[in-house]
Amino acid sequence: MQLGFLVDLHLCMGCKGCEIACKVENEVPLSTWRLRVKYVDVGTFPETKRTFTPLRCNHCENAPCERICPVSALHYLDNGIVNIDKERCIGCAGCVMACPYGAIYIDPETQTADKCTYCAHRIASSMMPACVVACPVEANIFGDLEDPSSNISKYMQRHSDVQVRKPEKGTNPHHYYVGASQTHLNPLASRREEGYSLFNKITTLPLGGHH
Amino acid sequence: MVHETLAATNAVVTLDVAIPDIFWGWYVTMNMWAKSIGTGLIFMLFLLLKKNSSEMTALRTPTIIVSFVMMNIFLLFTWLDLHQMLRMWHIFFYPHWTSAITVGAWMATLFVGLEALMIAVMILKKNTELFDKLLFWVTLLAIPVTLYTAGIMAEATARELWQMPTESVQMILAATLSGSAAMILLAGSKLSDETKNFFGAILGLSALMAFIIYMSEYIFGAMKAEEVAAILDYVKGDGEYATMFWIGQWVAYILPMLLVVLSRVSKSSSILSLAAILAIAGLWVVKHVWLVIPQLLPLS
Repeated sequence: MQLGFLVDLHLCMGCKGCEIACKVENEVPLSTWRLRVKYVDVGTFPETKRTFTPLRCNHCENAPCERICPVSALHYLDNGIVNIDKERCIGCAGCVMACPYGAIYIDPETQTADKCTYCAHRIASSMMPACVVACPVEANIFGDLEDPSSNISKYMQRHSDVQVRKPEKGTNPHHYYVGASQTHLNPLASRREEGYSLFNKITTLPLGGHH
Repeated sequence: MVHETLAATNAVVTLDVAIPDIFWGWYVTMNMWAKSIGTGLIFMLFLLLKKNSSEMTALRTPTIIVSFVMMNIFLLFTWLDLHQMLRMWHIFFYPHWTSAITVGAWMATLFVGLEALMIAVMILKKNTELFDKLLFWVTLLAIPVTLYTAGIMAEATARELWQMPTESVQMILAATLSGSAAMILLAGSKLSDETKNFFGAILGLSALMAFIIYMSEYIFGAMKAEEVAAILDYVKGDGEYATMFWIGQWVAYILPMLLVVLSRVSKSSSILSLAAILAIAGLWVVKHVWLVIPQLLPLS
């Protein structure tokens, strides 16, 4: 079994339901996110549009976080999930430095690394990840990539524009996007400017990385 | 940056909550800086043994003690940087050998243990023959202990600026630069002028080679990848770390190079000592800038 995710960006409407469901399900502390939706505005008025990109751990086949973890706190499960053992983690932040997708953070409450686990605890009970259940338009498609009859496999067979983030890193992500552009997937393809955020006074709590 | 894409799409991030922190900050800079001096002194002591062992008489004990202290500073800051310090023992009981952090922790522990043994050999037994035998093995071990941090940086796949073997070369050069500088300061008048000039030459050449590599990264790095180009923007023009970058380059490399030449021309050991102090101080700045700038880039 090789579990994977696919997000159809044609369907995603940026409601952030997945983000909230993830927060609640996994008790993700304030100021940290296992899953977040990035908004990028594209074009020049009046020809403008807003793109939405749900971002979470890519559960790479060749995961740099698993490789650099000195104590195997990050490890592969048999179903392909890159899981984390928070009791084992020493908080060296090596995984934070290694993940090319910025998907790992230091939990300010436990002072250990944390990230999306594809809701491994729910999957163990034969349930879907919380974000999949919450999505009102079924933009999140989850399933076994090795099973040709699974929803995700069928979806990938039907669509030719299946992409991953940063393929040049050689990580072989198990998280795919349909309908993505450079603006969605390449962090350098869009500007980040003061005063252009929807909420200009976003505050972040200390994550323990201030040394 | 992807300038073509920007021009075509005028894409602006309007909502994102990317991880904002610099996770490896000055604690890790202290780690790299102290380790460079610690292992560098061992390299220099071994060179002195091979070049002129008679000059080692008064230097064996102080050099190994200073190296031991610097290695313990390195270990202390490595430990302090952990968010779960009390779980440090996991590295030894749950080691994951694909991680350069694990390999390095084990080697550094062995290294410091051997240094403690060498100190005991000198202070308790005054056995210089055994000390010199141990020095050979400790020097061999000092090579991977110096290099493993480059392995960690290379394993940090997200940080395109840090590449192997460039970082390995910079680690070795940092050790020879700071080791020779520390030896010049530590030895004082205990070394002959010829030997001092020898260490001065190592200092000057290490500075020259490290400077060339940084400049090649600075000038040509952007040609390799857009991520590198974006990272180097932080040290170019009015970039956030441009001033600090050039302060580091001048203090660690350019001024020491010039002062080494001047000390040879004027036969002044005080100028050489000044070069040594600047090199050690500047190395901290250089290492810090190179550590921080890749962390400023948004990854998502």
